[in-house]
Amino acid sequence: MTINPIHLEKLKKILGSEGWIDDQTDMPSFLREPRDKYQGNTPLILMPDSTEKTAEIVRYCAQNKIPLVPQGGNSGLVGGAIPTGEILLSLKRLKAIRQQDARNLTITVEAGCILSHIQELAQEMNCLFPLSLAAEGSCMIGGNISTNAGGVNVLHYGNMRNLVLGLEVVLPNGETWHGLGGLRKDNTGYDLKQLFIGAEGSLGIITAATLKLSPHPHEKQTAFVAVPDPDAAVNLLSIARNISGDCLTAFEIIPRLGIDMVTDNIPGSRDPMTQTYDWYILLEGTSSLSRDLLDLEAVMERILSTGLDDGLILDGVIAKNITESNNLWQLRENLSEAQKFEGGSIKHDISVPISAIPAFLIEAGMAVETSIPGARPVPFGHLGDGNLHYNISQPKHMARQAFLDQWESLNQSVHDVVDKFNGSFSAEHGIGRMKTDDMLRYKSKVEMAMMTKIKHTLDPHNIMNPGVIVRK
Amino acid sequence: MKILVPVKRVIDYNVKVRVKADNTGVELANVKMSMNPFDEIAVEEALRIKEAGNAEEIIVVSIGPAQAQETLRTALAMGADRAILVKTDDLVEPLAVAKILKAIVAEETPELVILGKQAIDDDCNQTGQMLAALLEWPQGTFASEVKLGEGTVNVTREVDGGLETVKLTLPAVVTADLRLNEPRYASLPNIMKAKRKPLDTKEPSDYGVDTARRLTTLKVEEPAKRASGIIVENIAELVTKLRDEAGVI
Ligand SMILES: Cc1cc2nc3c(=O)[nH]c(=O)nc-3n(C[C@H](O)[C@H](O)[C@H](O)COP(=O)(O)OP(=O)(O)OC[C@H]3O[C@@H](n4cnc5c(N)ncnc54)[C@H](O)[C@@H]3O)c2cc1C
Ligand SMILES: Cc1cc2nc3c(=O)[nH]c(=O)nc-3n(C[C@H](O)[C@H](O)[C@H](O)COP(=O)(O)OP(=O)(O)OC[C@H]3O[C@@H](n4cnc5c(N)ncnc54)[C@H](O)[C@@H]3O)c2cc1C
Repeated sequence: MTINPIHLEKLKKILGSEGWIDDQTDMPSFLREPRDKYQGNTPLILMPDSTEKTAEIVRYCAQNKIPLVPQGGNSGLVGGAIPTGEILLSLKRLKAIRQQDARNLTITVEAGCILSHIQELAQEMNCLFPLSLAAEGSCMIGGNISTNAGGVNVLHYGNMRNLVLGLEVVLPNGETWHGLGGLRKDNTGYDLKQLFIGAEGSLGIITAATLKLSPHPHEKQTAFVAVPDPDAAVNLLSIARNISGDCLTAFEIIPRLGIDMVTDNIPGSRDPMTQTYDWYILLEGTSSLSRDLLDLEAVMERILSTGLDDGLILDGVIAKNITESNNLWQLRENLSEAQKFEGGSIKHDISVPISAIPAFLIEAGMAVETSIPGARPVPFGHLGDGNLHYNISQPKHMARQAFLDQWESLNQSVHDVVDKFNGSFSAEHGIGRMKTDDMLRYKSKVEMAMMTKIKHTLDPHNIMNPGVIVRK
Repeated sequence: MKILVPVKRVIDYNVKVRVKADNTGVELANVKMSMNPFDEIAVEEALRIKEAGNAEEIIVVSIGPAQAQETLRTALAMGADRAILVKTDDLVEPLAVAKILKAIVAEETPELVILGKQAIDDDCNQTGQMLAALLEWPQGTFASEVKLGEGTVNVTREVDGGLETVKLTLPAVVTADLRLNEPRYASLPNIMKAKRKPLDTKEPSDYGVDTARRLTTLKVEEPAKRASGIIVENIAELVTKLRDEAGVI
């Protein structure tokens, strides 16, 4: 695809000299995806600093049928923000804080605000913005919304969809929908914002959002326990929920192989226990009640002692301060990084009903061993949400590339098992350009037809992130 | 022998401390409190000495409010044998703490007292030294290594110029520095066991110590905010700024 240079010049004019990049030497960080699976190319990066300028660009592109790829922090993992010749529209300069309203428990921010910055602002308001994930220092709220991001707090607070009260969106024809506002109840017709949440930029450009805040938690308890197997882990989850009700905010599973990889490869990390076990759970309880009203430590101890008595827990530790809590989380957060030292890794981001996880793990393990004998699954992640990062490290002595060449075929073997358990082949990272084949394979005709019709209705010329989610 | 380890309940190391609006102190309401990190290192060292067969009993003591019990339970969960809470809601200054500890030493007759080198709330760095002086015991402060001998202890100290090793005759006072060891996690079975370990509650008056303050705090203020940095476009601009604005070249 080539775009007429006259158009490029006109688009640059709209933004002025601060607002674009056309020198290829300044582009690499925009065009590389975090796992190096995609190398993009574009003739021009546009960086508007207001909704009006964004709308002006889109209007021009709509009139001239010029395709656009929106991008936030470029931390997405499915190639959705990587252009293949289209113009790249970066939201990074759209970063004003429009409104902070502690009494309404809301904050209104522009799309280019970095997630960790929003978390800090919420904290200054004595509130919490609960979305939290490993990329929070670089991902932007527009990207989080567009991917309906999940992360480590979904168990209690829900994913991005549950945290958005209003949106401002530039539509593919250049019109702006002013849908901001801090309403928790609004049954006036279709809930349009839901259409753009998780749309990965295929239906329009999110320029600002009103986000729902929560009261700030006062107390946190982090524990790391060894469990005999995933079945025990699922039973422990039930116990934890029965005892703690709303307080359980994280429940992450990690296999022994994952702990080995982290302690072997990440300096400063150590196994919290003296013996080794097959499976671990990182669980966390959080409470917004002040300490004198709720003894969260006692709650955590009740969960763990019940687990011990029932044989669901073999051993464990409770963090005695925030440093230890952070270190336990580092074991979890460093899993992907640690896998890089173990050769190639083929990733899956799947979900199945929580109760089906033990059976899924057995069947998926068999499917992997059949496809690539010796391949080493490191299934870890948000067990409490039924979401596993089913990542597979290469067999010890296989050539890295020979293993990675099997990416698609191994994906299919695993996704077939996921499908059998009525699961999802993309639980939180989305479809992007990576999983459009899976869409055709696993989604029903009726479902695909609805999605395609929605896409065509809003974006008849297919200029808004073409090729993402629905192919044409 | 017995080892005595005093532990203090302080604002958790990772909490961003906020000064009270009236400048009388720092905000403690609903703030996470933990064991002073240097005291945790002291507890760990005592445990290692015991595990090596060089001590029979570890007694932990905390001087502070009722909630300091939690700090003691943490030490018991790490492996200490029993605990003494000297309960007071006063802000106790290092000298009064040292006097109470001296009285406890007289009762318990430990041969080694291991303290943290300082508490991270008031940063006094005084208690260990004062205790050694009151007891007229030798002291090895800022320890990065502790080795027991026959009736002696070798303490490697972190000093400005590098490392210094002193040999002390027991009984002695040692204060722990950051690099002495990495404290263990409290294991679940030990947390459960800790609930049944003995914890005595006393008051400063039991030891004949008056905890009235001798120092008056005039005002507590935030440190001055650092001005944010700027990004210069090129070396010429950097040089100009360093010369004309910073006045350093
Ligand atoms: C005493 C009273 C108190 C109420 N309190 C509340 C309240 O506190 N909060 C509140 O939100 N509402 C309240 N409502 C109104 C509320 O909307 C209804 O009570 C309830 O949610 C509607 O359910 P229904 O089965 O009666 O639907 P209906 O009245 O039968 O239908 C409501 C609408 O849904 C459509 N519809 C119904 N079933 C289907 C279906 N299966 N598929 C597609 N469309 C369907 C209908 O065509 C209609 O448009 C109250 C009503 C009353 C009478
Ligand atoms: C280390 C790491 C950890 C991660 N952990 C998690 C996790 O735990 N949970 C999880 O859900 N995800 C996780 N992710 C992936 C996650 O999707 C992204 O981190 C984040 O949500 C995307 O935000 P971004 O600003 O980087 O978006 P980008 O990567 O820039 O874009 C993502 C998609 O959204 C579109 N888009 C971006 N901004 C806009 C906008 N303003 N309007 C319209 N479309 C837009 C892009 O076109 C693209 O399709 C992780 C990624 C990394 C690198």
